[in-house]
Amino acid sequence: MKVSLLARIAILLIAITTGACTSAPSNVLTIGAAGPMTGDQSKMGIDLRHGVELAVDEWNAKGGVLGKRIVMQVEDDQHDPKQAVAVANKLVNSGVVGVIGHWNSSASIPASGVYSQGKVVMITPASTNPRLTEQGFPTVFRICGRDDQQGPLAARFVRERFPNAAVAVLHDKTTYGQGLAEEFQRALGAGPRVVFSSGVTQGDKDFRAVLTTVKAARPEIIFFGGIYPEAALLVRQARELGLTAPFISGDGTYDQKFLEIAGPAADGTYLTFGPDPADFPQSQAFLTKYHERFGPHGPYSIYAYDAANILLSAIAQAGTTDGLKLAEVIRGTSHQGAQGEIRFDARGDVLNAPYIVWIVKQGRFEQFWRPG
Amino acid sequence: MFLQQLINGLTLGGVYALVALGYTMVYGILELINFAHGEIYMLGAYIGIIALGLFTAWGWTAAAPALSLLAAVAVAAVYCGAVGATVERLAYRPLRRAHRLTPLISAIGVSIVLQNVVMLTQGSADKVFPRLSDAPTTFAVAGATVSALQLWIVGISAALMGSLHLLIRKTRLGLAMRATAQDPRMASLVGVPVNRVITATFVIGSALAAVAGVMVGLYYGVVNFFIGYVAGIKAFTAAVLGGIGNVPGAMLGGVILGVLEGLGAGYLSNEYKDVIAFVILILVLIVRPTGLMGERIPDKV
Repeated sequence: MKVSLLARIAILLIAITTGACTSAPSNVLTIGAAGPMTGDQSKMGIDLRHGVELAVDEWNAKGGVLGKRIVMQVEDDQHDPKQAVAVANKLVNSGVVGVIGHWNSSASIPASGVYSQGKVVMITPASTNPRLTEQGFPTVFRICGRDDQQGPLAARFVRERFPNAAVAVLHDKTTYGQGLAEEFQRALGAGPRVVFSSGVTQGDKDFRAVLTTVKAARPEIIFFGGIYPEAALLVRQARELGLTAPFISGDGTYDQKFLEIAGPAADGTYLTFGPDPADFPQSQAFLTKYHERFGPHGPYSIYAYDAANILLSAIAQAGTTDGLKLAEVIRGTSHQGAQGEIRFDARGDVLNAPYIVWIVKQGRFEQFWRPG
Repeated sequence: MFLQQLINGLTLGGVYALVALGYTMVYGILELINFAHGEIYMLGAYIGIIALGLFTAWGWTAAAPALSLLAAVAVAAVYCGAVGATVERLAYRPLRRAHRLTPLISAIGVSIVLQNVVMLTQGSADKVFPRLSDAPTTFAVAGATVSALQLWIVGISAALMGSLHLLIRKTRLGLAMRATAQDPRMASLVGVPVNRVITATFVIGSALAAVAGVMVGLYYGVVNFFIGYVAGIKAFTAAVLGGIGNVPGAMLGGVILGVLEGLGAGYLSNEYKDVIAFVILILVLIVRPTGLMGERIPDKV
């Protein structure tokens, strides 16, 4: 035990020293990939990294971009705003030509200020909080939808399917979770009434106290704004307490990990997320390649892949790595991605981000409802 | 709803009490706050996952869920007891005559090492506990829901605390432990094998923490390498609340803390759930530093 520990320390030291002296030679271009690579949400960061990696390898196989080989610099923000800023500074200082990330809105928003100042293009594959693109940063893009689209969709679904229902609203107090819960609540309108509303602590493992209070409020449906580690435990512990009202949540809960942790208790949970890429002919090539290399794709793998392709083709088209020029090209071009056509508006949001309602049935996500 | 929060709180309290016992026993004998104790609890949860994973693969959990639970608990207790003894031998015993702060720093070091060993070998992502059954058995009691697992947790905690009390009060080992706690040098002069008693204390405390770890892992459904930190602080609070160094005090402190946390989260604010433990810790330290059942400890010269 003592020896293996020493060996680990030695490996760590070597890793730190080699990591510290990577300086980019001029015949390569570095693009950054940032997200939660370790910790409870690491599945999301790793999906993001895999998506970018696939795109980078395809470009390198075709000879790179501007005659240079592309390398990836992966950084772990641990879904922590402070860490995200540190990571952003590190990426800007090492001269990346653009960053795919971050995953969490609470990481993307503070990091976007650093990228904007460094005139580095940032394309987030997953951060849905509206504020990210409302800051007026020219180099900040978002390739997924916004919470003021998916929150109101969830509200409309509840209005139509659970008219006049008693609704409980929970969120994880993060930029994303609380923001989404507020968008949902604002769009709920007359009819359904909110009987309970509270935050839970991210990273907590025991939600029985708050769920007992929720149960006493007798909701007919429970909205949760947050990510799958908390969502799965909420659903699981609610069922153990005899709280049978269905949950409805957002894109942060859409992952296999949610099903794995929640187990049979996940059945009947509603989620808002984009449509399944498996249904689109243009996504098939990506899905096949991804499955061969990394196994099943995560919810945001395809978004990360498209984001990396958009960045790299903009560099090829602009013939430069100047961030502001790249941003102009990205904004002015219609991109053909694995998800279909992608175009950005003046703020840096995608023009078309369809959300639908999914349901968990017998341990699988199924498309359930789309706005008529 | 009151009853439900009380049941939730009692379950938590039993767990806090088990972990608090390890703090208080070690403090009683060595006057050392063993900051690595929370990590032993976390390690216990991981051993529980591995054991239950194996039992599931062998088909034991399906055949006899209760026996599998007990077997997993036993495996974790034995393993963590050994780790506790090793930690004492390697990190604390060489510092027995050093300044009081030195073993404290060593304890923090052990805590970091254990966390990182688990992170490197088991990964940093949450680990899902194998489910003992797909539909958990629950009982309805006056509008509240009690799960079979909650009964197990309370039952096992109570049984272990009772056994520990008997061990300390009725056996030769217990007598030796009490003697060592009073004055290690005097105890050694009258023939008490002080080092062996200290090892036994670490083994017992660590085994109790491991039992708590496995049960909490099952109760929450997931564990990660960081759970020992918050659990450690809460159990430490429970030990201080009961009077650190006082064994029945740790049991009482654990149960009170769990119940207060459950009721506070239910009636005051769920968002400040963890704050309740820290407020109690600060209040106890200001108002009654010796805790509920602690006697005034004369300063050792």
